[in-house]
Amino acid sequence: MTAKTLGVLSAAIAVLVGGISGEAQGPIRIGASLSLTGTYAKLGKNQHEGYKLCEKDLNAKGGLLGRKVEFVVYDDQSTPATAVRLYEKLITEDKVDGVMGPYSSPVTEASANVTEKYKKVMVAPLAATTSIFKRPPDKKRYYIFMVISPAEVYLEGLIDIAAKRGLKTVAIVNEDTLFSKAAAAGAVEIAKKKGMQVVFQEAYPKGTTDFSALLTKIKSLNPDVLAAATYFDDAVALTRQMRELDVNPKAYGVTVGGDLPEFYDTLKTNAEFIYGATQWEPALPYPGNKDFFEAYKKEFGHEPSYHSTAGYGGCLIYAEAVKRAGTLDADRVREQLLKLEVRTVFGDYKVDADGFQLAHKMVTFQWHEGKKAVVWPDELAQLKPRFPTPPWNQR
Amino acid sequence: MLGQVVISGILSGALYAMVALGLALIFGVMRIINIAHGPLLMLGAYATYFLYSALGINPFLTVPVSMLALFVVGALLERTLVFRVVDAPELSSLLLTFGISIALVNLAQLAFTSDLRSVEYLTGAWLVGPFALSKARLVAFVFAGALTGLAFSFLQWTRLGKAIRATSQSREVAMVCGINVQRIHLFTFGLAAALAAAGGALIAVIVAIQPEMGQIWTFKSFLVIVLGGAGNYPGALLGGILLGLIEQVASLFLTTQLSEVVAYVLLVLVLLVRPAGLLGGRQT
Repeated sequence: MTAKTLGVLSAAIAVLVGGISGEAQGPIRIGASLSLTGTYAKLGKNQHEGYKLCEKDLNAKGGLLGRKVEFVVYDDQSTPATAVRLYEKLITEDKVDGVMGPYSSPVTEASANVTEKYKKVMVAPLAATTSIFKRPPDKKRYYIFMVISPAEVYLEGLIDIAAKRGLKTVAIVNEDTLFSKAAAAGAVEIAKKKGMQVVFQEAYPKGTTDFSALLTKIKSLNPDVLAAATYFDDAVALTRQMRELDVNPKAYGVTVGGDLPEFYDTLKTNAEFIYGATQWEPALPYPGNKDFFEAYKKEFGHEPSYHSTAGYGGCLIYAEAVKRAGTLDADRVREQLLKLEVRTVFGDYKVDADGFQLAHKMVTFQWHEGKKAVVWPDELAQLKPRFPTPPWNQR
Repeated sequence: MLGQVVISGILSGALYAMVALGLALIFGVMRIINIAHGPLLMLGAYATYFLYSALGINPFLTVPVSMLALFVVGALLERTLVFRVVDAPELSSLLLTFGISIALVNLAQLAFTSDLRSVEYLTGAWLVGPFALSKARLVAFVFAGALTGLAFSFLQWTRLGKAIRATSQSREVAMVCGINVQRIHLFTFGLAAALAAAGGALIAVIVAIQPEMGQIWTFKSFLVIVLGGAGNYPGALLGGILLGLIEQVASLFLTTQLSEVVAYVLLVLVLLVRPAGLLGGRQT
C-alpha cells in the first residue's frame, strides 16, 4: 500500500467517521398527543397544523441548537385517558427530547401528571383552565406553562358590552367539562362585579344534542343576555334550537367553536349577531401575523384558527426558551420560560411563578355579514357591535 | 313549559323508538346485541349528507335511498361475519359487533375525515299556540312514526314478517315448518341496518354529522329495548317514547346533567323489579 492510497483511505475514514458522529446527533424530537379524531378533532387538527408549520419554519432557519426539529404526534381521540397513555409512551418508549401540550383543558390536565412525573417541560398552548396551573402548595406543578388567556375571561367581552348598554339579567350555560365550567364560573363573577343579575345557570353533559328543556327554562326567564360556555357541536345545536324555540336574548355569545369558519358555514345567516371570544384574529397587529396567515393558508389550504396560531406560537416559545438555555435540560429550559417575555404572532407571553399566563389578551368578535368583526376591547375593535340582537322573526 | 317539553320528548322519542326497533329485531331473532347499530346509523347519515350536498336531493327523500344502501351493507355484514356467531356464546357476538363498530367508525374517519358536516335544510319552527314545533324535528317525527308503523305492519301481516316472528319465537319450530332461517337472519340484519339508516338520515337534518355520532345511539337503543323488554317489538316503541320523555322532563325539573342519571337509574330499577322489561320479554 502506497503512502498515497493510505492517505486517501484515512481521509475517507475520517469523512465516514465524521459523518457518523454528525448523524448520531439526530433531530430533536418533540412529542405531542393531539385530538386528531373525536369530539375535539376539528380544533386539535388545527393545533397540529400549527405545530407542523412551526417545525417547518424552525428547520428552514437551521433548526434548534444546530439540530433539525421533528414532531412525533399521536392521536388521543379527544380522551384524557388515551393522552395519558400516549405521553407515557412518548417519554418512556420513544424517548423524545421534549414535549408540547395536547388540545383542550381536560386532556392537558390529565397529561400534566405524566409530564410532571418525568420532569418534562410542557408548554401547553391550548389549555385555558386556571386550576391546571394554580394549585395548592402540596400539589404544585413545576414544568407546565400556559400560553393562552384563562377560561375565566372568555365571556368578559360579551358581559362588558351588555353591561355598558344597560342590560341587567344574564343566563349562563356550560358543557360540563373543565374548561367550560371555568369559563361559566368566570362569567358569573364578572357579571356580578358589573352589577348584572345571574338569573339562570346550568351545566349539560358533553355530547348533548337536544337542548329543548334547557332552552324552555331560559325562555320562561327571558334574560337579557345568554352566555354559553361551549365547544363546537353544542354551540351549533344550541343556536339552532334557540331559533326553533324562539329564544330571544338581546345579546348571545359562545366561547369555543363560535370562531371557526365552519360555525358560519353550518348556521349560515343564523350565526349573524352571535358574539364569540377568541384568543387571536388574523387582523390583530402582532409581529409577523400577516405573513404567518398567508404561509399557513398556502401550506394547508385553509385559514388558521386561533388553535393553529396558539400551537404555532407555543412551539416558538418553547424553541426560544431552548435556544436561550442552550440545552434541552428541563430545569434550565424551565428557568428561561419563567423569565421569558416575548410577543409572537399569537400575542404576548409572560408567565408568573406558576407558569400562569399574564400578558396575553382575549378579544370578542361578532359575526357580521359572514365575517368576524372584532368589537371588544375598544382599542382593538374594528367595528361597533350591532346591538341589540333583533328577535329571530325580524332578521 | 311542561307542554313544550313533553312535545320535545315525544318528538325525539319516536326517533329513539325507530332506531331501537332495529336493535330489538336483531336481538329477538338472532339473540345478538349489535354494538355496531349506532355506527350503521352514522353511515346512513353520511349517505344522506352526500346525496344532499352532491346531488341536491331533498334530505327527506334520501331516507329510502339511505335505507336501501344500508340494507345491503347490513346483509353483507351478516353473510360475511355475523352469521358465524349466531349460535356462539353471547360474549362472542358482543366482541364481533364491537369490532365491526370500531372498524366502521375508523373507516368513516379515513374516508370522510372527522370534519363536522351538516345538512342545513329545514330550520326554524312552526308556532302552534304557545308551543314551538321544530320543523326538522317534526318532519323527522312524522317519518319515524310512519316507518315504525310500516315495520310493524310488515311484521304483523306479511308472510316474511310472520316468518321473522316465528323464527324469533322458536328457531327450531320455524325450521321444521320449512322457514329458511338463514335467509330470515340475513333479511332481519339488513332490515335492522335499514332502520338505523333511516334514523341516521333523519338525524342528519338535526345535528352535526361526524364519524363518532353513532355510538351514543347504540347506548340509547340498548336502554330503550331493556326498558321496553328485550326482543319485544311493541316494547321498543314504548321504551323509545318513554326515554324521550324522561330525558326532557328530567331536564326541566332537575338539570340536563341529571336527566341522564334519571334514565339510567330507571334502567336499574326496571332490571330489579321487572327484569324482562316493562312489556315483558320475548313475545311476538
